[in-house]
Amino acid sequence: MVQTVLTRLATSLFVIFGASVLVYCIMYLLPGDPVLLMLDPSSATPEMIQNLRVQLGLDQPFYIQFAHYFGDMLRGDFGKSMINSDPVLPKILEHFPATLALTALSSLIAITIGITLGVLSAIHRNGVIDFIARLVGLFGISMPTFWTGILLILLFSVQLGWFPAMGSDGFSSLVLPAATLGLVGAGFIVRMVRNSMLEVINEPFIVALRAKGLSERVIMYGHALRNALIPAVTVIGMLIGDLLAGTVVVETVFSRQGIGRIIADALMSKDLPVVQGVVFFTAIIYVVLNLLVDISYAYIDPRVRRAVRA
Amino acid sequence: MSRSIRWMKYMALAAALILVLSGCGAGSTSDGAAQASGGKQSAPAEGGNLTYALATSPDTLDPHRSGLAVTVRAIRTIYDNLVVQLPDGSIKPWLAKEWSVSDDGTSYTFKLRDDVKFHDGTPFNAEAVKYNLDRVIDPATKAANSLALIRPYSSSEVIDEYTIKVNLAQPSQAFLGNLSQALLGIVSPTAAKKYGDQLGKNPVGTGPYTFVKWDENADIVVAKNKDYAWAPETVENQAAPHLDTITFKIVPEEATRIGSVQSGQVLAAETVPPQNIAALKGDPNQQLLQANTVGLPYTLFFNLRKAPWDNVKVRQAVQSAVDVETIVKTLYLGNYERAWSALSPGILGYDASLEGSINPDINKANQLLDEEGWVKGTDGIRAKDGKKLTLRYVDGSPNREKRNDIAAIIQQQLKQVGIAVEVEITKDIATVIYQNWDYDLYGNSQVNSDPNALYAFYHTSAEGERPTLSGLADPEIDKLLEQGAVETDPDKRVEIYHQVQQYLIDQAVILPIYVFPYTVAASKTVQGVKFDALGYPLFNDVTIQP
Repeated sequence: MVQTVLTRLATSLFVIFGASVLVYCIMYLLPGDPVLLMLDPSSATPEMIQNLRVQLGLDQPFYIQFAHYFGDMLRGDFGKSMINSDPVLPKILEHFPATLALTALSSLIAITIGITLGVLSAIHRNGVIDFIARLVGLFGISMPTFWTGILLILLFSVQLGWFPAMGSDGFSSLVLPAATLGLVGAGFIVRMVRNSMLEVINEPFIVALRAKGLSERVIMYGHALRNALIPAVTVIGMLIGDLLAGTVVVETVFSRQGIGRIIADALMSKDLPVVQGVVFFTAIIYVVLNLLVDISYAYIDPRVRRAVRA
Repeated sequence: MSRSIRWMKYMALAAALILVLSGCGAGSTSDGAAQASGGKQSAPAEGGNLTYALATSPDTLDPHRSGLAVTVRAIRTIYDNLVVQLPDGSIKPWLAKEWSVSDDGTSYTFKLRDDVKFHDGTPFNAEAVKYNLDRVIDPATKAANSLALIRPYSSSEVIDEYTIKVNLAQPSQAFLGNLSQALLGIVSPTAAKKYGDQLGKNPVGTGPYTFVKWDENADIVVAKNKDYAWAPETVENQAAPHLDTITFKIVPEEATRIGSVQSGQVLAAETVPPQNIAALKGDPNQQLLQANTVGLPYTLFFNLRKAPWDNVKVRQAVQSAVDVETIVKTLYLGNYERAWSALSPGILGYDASLEGSINPDINKANQLLDEEGWVKGTDGIRAKDGKKLTLRYVDGSPNREKRNDIAAIIQQQLKQVGIAVEVEITKDIATVIYQNWDYDLYGNSQVNSDPNALYAFYHTSAEGERPTLSGLADPEIDKLLEQGAVETDPDKRVEIYHQVQQYLIDQAVILPIYVFPYTVAASKTVQGVKFDALGYPLFNDVTIQP
């Protein structure tokens, strides 16, 4: 087990390094000149443009720029924003808690609704609950998040006045954005759990348990659910990763602070150091989450644990 | 296919829901649209916090380094300028009490107020002004738009504590007006030296409000400057503002922004989409404030460097085929004014005689293209010498003010006369437009206080300089633009700019589309929002009625 974790950690470091190199190359090769984006193209003189380029070190050849960038990053210096000279790492760390809170609450909503409805709909197949669960699943998956978000604002903020339409202060401003993302997540989880529950329920070991005379409740929640959760955990793990990295739309719709907003702004203005910083940061999160998912497999499923040991 | 059907379903659902919801919100019909407020109240209510939703985030609160109009909404509260421009174009005192211009027009001597202090206690004086002007032209400042505004500034001399002489490289009639623009606001020299490139996060000026905090992507807070006593003529309240604080919230999503005003979470929100204007006018709790921005209206520029657009008749064919009236009425539902000239109404030298001058005429367009030898093929597209008549239309905004839709309508309109329009929407304007010059038609607008703004768009670009958007190179126009920059007789100046504007329309160098109104949805409790000569909001007179 320990060895597996160590091997996984080593590959993880490689993945993170690869991601940062890749992003650097892509941003470098993308058409467009950050200097021209920083200055008003209709009024800047060529002299101004050249001065700024030299100041930012953009007149240097590619390999020197990359060497500088990577050397600084190893020292924990993610550089400064080219737009407003903000240091990148503190900026990310300052905005991360807001994204983390949003992710935590929306994951909680997604997992609670997703697993509950998924299990119930599989047990009561083709009943009313199943119908509702499948509707939630379809709704969550097929509605664009910005649209769900705006609907929630119109209903719960403009009409009912229960929650603020925007902002990132306090729990009440967290409810609508978390519900928006939670619904999407719940949609995926409902379908996943329902399908795998249905598969598991028809397996021979369930028949065997029934023959043993165990109560239906124990069979469903003690045995079937445990087996059905394995694919769901994968989905949930990926989902949390997606939520953390991809809160761009929801953070914009609800005017929340967060790393999604940072990267959206940075991409628009081709603010290289910020884009690289955020990607590097999210790469680490993805890798850590994957690690956790793998470990939790082993915890849930003894077969995986044994395979790891062998 | 199935995706677009799904999309249409959403849109239909959306439209139905919005109708239902906005219907409930409007309630009984009200006393009609509110006028831009500004009327005197009997007893102004003191105190309160004005929450004001901005559509985008300012880039920096350092006026000299900013390149965005949205920044001006916030920094207008923190900084003052040497002079102020009234809506009629005249220049009046602000931090400068009076001034004189040398006979050759290359030096200005300003007498400054002696009772002004920066928010950090630094005294305002001639040294501070000199520091500011020199800071803008110092490459280390990385000045953005302010650098263009300050040209042709060369140096300044401190005559005594409150007198400063400013020297220009050549005379400029635009210079004094430009000094009134917020991007040339006066910053505290102490703070600028202390914070360096972080001044934008720690702004210190002499304005009616002092900076409190800026949480990135969330809000900017400013508080009343109790000592303020040097307001310009553009506002009534000459003393400290009535409000305790203003909180600028950054709310990019327009539905959320308008929703926040309707739900009462903010008291005012800028940039109301045209489709929401009617609903707001009918809302008894809301008012709509509106000010047309001044400068260059949203204008489509032909790239005259590329054939066949170097041919005036082909351009005139497009000019006759495009029905601007229909475009503006369809897209903005009567809430935006149509533009007729290279300048917007309200600026010095605007030529009102151009209004109504160009009207759609499909026959004329066809005739012009026939004359030039462009023959319609079987596919309905004209061709000449084996080359199809295509127009590459580039737009750089993610449908800001429905600009992408303008492109789509023009594409349809030009199809009728046999011109194929390729529309390219790209965020990367810097490369496509300013580096590769790969466009036939491209739109732009600019907020400006002086007709000299035309110079940067239509004067032949010098060797080594960046080419202009139009690529126009006409010695006659160059001469007029050079005269316009230095002419001291206002009547003669107006005449010069009339000639330029008429030429640009006669020669079909451009297609002016719309004048951009700055719109604000506000709660009826908010009183006294004013707009300066350029259309930016002023908060000195604002009160919140209980």
